Amino acid sequence: MKRSWTHWARTAAVGAVSLAMVAACSGRSTTDDADAAGGQVTLKINFWGDFGLQDLKTKYEAEHPNVKIQLNSGEYNAQHEDLQKKLVAGNGAPDIAAIDEGFMVQFRSQSDKFVNLLDKGAGSYESKYLPWKWKQSLSADGKTQIGLGTDVGGLAMCYRTDLFKAAGLPTERDQVSALWPTWDKFLEVGQQYTGKTKKKFLDAGTNLFNPILGQQQVGFYNDQEQLQMEQGPKVAFDYTVKAVQSGLSANLVSFQADWDKGFTSGAFAVLACPAWMLGHIKDTAPGTQGKWDIAAVPGGGGNWGGSFLTIPKQGKNVDEAYKLLEWLVAPEQQIEIFKKVGNLPSQPALYADPAIADFKNPFFNNAPVGQIFPKMAQGLTPQYLGKKNGPTRVAVENVIRRVENKSLKPDAAWNEAVKEADKAAKS
Amino acid sequence: MSSTRAAPAPPSRRPAPERGRRRADDRRLTWRNRLYRFDMRYMPYLMIAPFFLLFLVFGLFPLLFNAVVSLRNYRLDDPTLPYWAGFENFSRLVADEDFWNALYNTFGIFLLSTVPQLLLALLVASLLNRRLRAQTWWRVGVLLPYVTPIVASTMVFSVFFSRDFGMANWVLGLLGIGGADDPIDWRADKMHAWIAIATMVNWKWIGYNALLYLAAMQSIPRDVYEAAAIDGAGQWKQLWRITVPMIQPVVVFTVILSTIGGLQLFTEPMLFDPNAQAATGGPNGEWQTIAQLIYKVGWKDLNLGYAAAMSWALFLIILVVAGVNYLLTNRLSGGRK
Repeated sequence: MKRSWTHWARTAAVGAVSLAMVAACSGRSTTDDADAAGGQVTLKINFWGDFGLQDLKTKYEAEHPNVKIQLNSGEYNAQHEDLQKKLVAGNGAPDIAAIDEGFMVQFRSQSDKFVNLLDKGAGSYESKYLPWKWKQSLSADGKTQIGLGTDVGGLAMCYRTDLFKAAGLPTERDQVSALWPTWDKFLEVGQQYTGKTKKKFLDAGTNLFNPILGQQQVGFYNDQEQLQMEQGPKVAFDYTVKAVQSGLSANLVSFQADWDKGFTSGAFAVLACPAWMLGHIKDTAPGTQGKWDIAAVPGGGGNWGGSFLTIPKQGKNVDEAYKLLEWLVAPEQQIEIFKKVGNLPSQPALYADPAIADFKNPFFNNAPVGQIFPKMAQGLTPQYLGKKNGPTRVAVENVIRRVENKSLKPDAAWNEAVKEADKAAKS
Repeated sequence: MSSTRAAPAPPSRRPAPERGRRRADDRRLTWRNRLYRFDMRYMPYLMIAPFFLLFLVFGLFPLLFNAVVSLRNYRLDDPTLPYWAGFENFSRLVADEDFWNALYNTFGIFLLSTVPQLLLALLVASLLNRRLRAQTWWRVGVLLPYVTPIVASTMVFSVFFSRDFGMANWVLGLLGIGGADDPIDWRADKMHAWIAIATMVNWKWIGYNALLYLAAMQSIPRDVYEAAAIDGAGQWKQLWRITVPMIQPVVVFTVILSTIGGLQLFTEPMLFDPNAQAATGGPNGEWQTIAQLIYKVGWKDLNLGYAAAMSWALFLIILVVAGVNYLLTNRLSGGRK
């Protein structure tokens, strides 16, 4: 009798465990509902890199005791792909999703899946924004605004004053800007530097390609979504291959470990710098404080990157999310972010604010970043970025990397780039 | 079947009560009886049921659903396409050079990893099978790589095979190969990338396979070797003529297991890429495996229908290769069956 008892107990235990395991795999936690019942809401924000939100989160939570903010930083491409999946699944998207301009066309053509911010009264913001920034996230028919802009890229050239000095180049920022009015001159300076020091001038071919492409009238796609390789991409690609061929590039892969190490080891002397790059340099190589400075980018203006905050429709706390969104794009917070990580606001009125206009970045040798970047952002006609802009860029960057690692001959590179871009457009 | 099961039952329960009135004692016995019979007959099925239920839900259903999806247009970024695609996904597969490139890579890495892996495992096992000092220590030691989380070890190897700061290049430099001036770029061409990835796979699985072989070797009677030694067979001959044929079922098992594992290789090639997220397996797909390509097509290009077709193709390829390997190993090791 006793034996069968233990036997049964054992069976029951095994059954219970397996049931529990199945149950653990299914069902959602009920904490969300519990929160809602108590008037508590949790707002999740998805973004990448550093949006300068850490301190703002604490501040907002202190002012709004019923709101908890969950910051979720991920990899740039991964966050956009994740958002796309969640939109299709109809579940799981964050309350606020950041979207980069490179992916904006793809998402604004699904504007029915986002909260129309115009319904929430966002129309009053239109006059505050750079006109092109406002239009970037507006649906084609102009009736749905899916996001409010946070930062714009702008473009400049960061350089290491200590390495320039060692190579006998001028170090003062205006003189450096005067060295390279055009990309041809820029490559000449590079050859001079590399010839003298036997060190690499640039971090990566791809980081030459992207800023040059950003300056062109037409990027990968025209506004009929047709691939335009012979236009802007060809210009940028030719310069890039030339730079790689003359040994100027350290052939690193951006945002990877070796690249980050390169900042500290002085593996390269210049780096194309949109405003958002400043935060990355500062975070990656805190020891190089004061060695950097910022000069003008060859070829005048240009833009690289810039983001928006959107509210996917499937969220449960849309109203609370919109309140937070409005707070985040308000001038005080935008200025705070600019000072903290360098992201340049997309509301031009702020550029006149002394907090920005007079701001000098001590990390970059007190460069007047509040003057440099706004100038770029204001005089800009941005190019159209197609729906497949993201994958196409990855495909062409891969071809550049093959030239860098010498598995592809420079003469054959352009045809290969066209082929790969074609494939990406059709993928 | 039921009669044999019932035979060892206590005799007291055999005589069923003939009169309508049962004694309390009797009834309790029958109840126990039933429990006992239930226990013997159905309990085993109940006990293994969780596995099969889970397999149905998480194994068979996805497999079949996958087959349905592979015949559909299923694009996450374009839901407007017609529902059924027929065999379009499969016909696209045949002409897709990315797929053939990935297949080529998968087999390349598979050969570079499986063959040395199993041969070395065999050698390690036969070494461990001798009398050694600190025997247990050695045996546990070879299993350590298998215990290491695959992501952790791959991350370390990824740095190990780095172009500028990698230890692999440093060691090769000491031997006069490459060196700091002309470092080997492990990610620049197929051969180097394959070797690097195969090294990771080998490192992880040699010990595991060695222990499987060792377990099998322990059951070979010693006198067989003694007899062979008297007949003049050396160590090498003993290994190939006695050990391998006698542990042949285990050899077949490991070959099939590593075939399945090798053809599904994902984590190592994925994390070997400095830009792992892109899942391209190098700028030109130098080491992109099929599993990686499936991930890329499904979750980066958001074309789930096509990815499903690829998964099914991979499933069929694994079946065929495992079958061929089974026949080959069976024949190589003496054809005992």
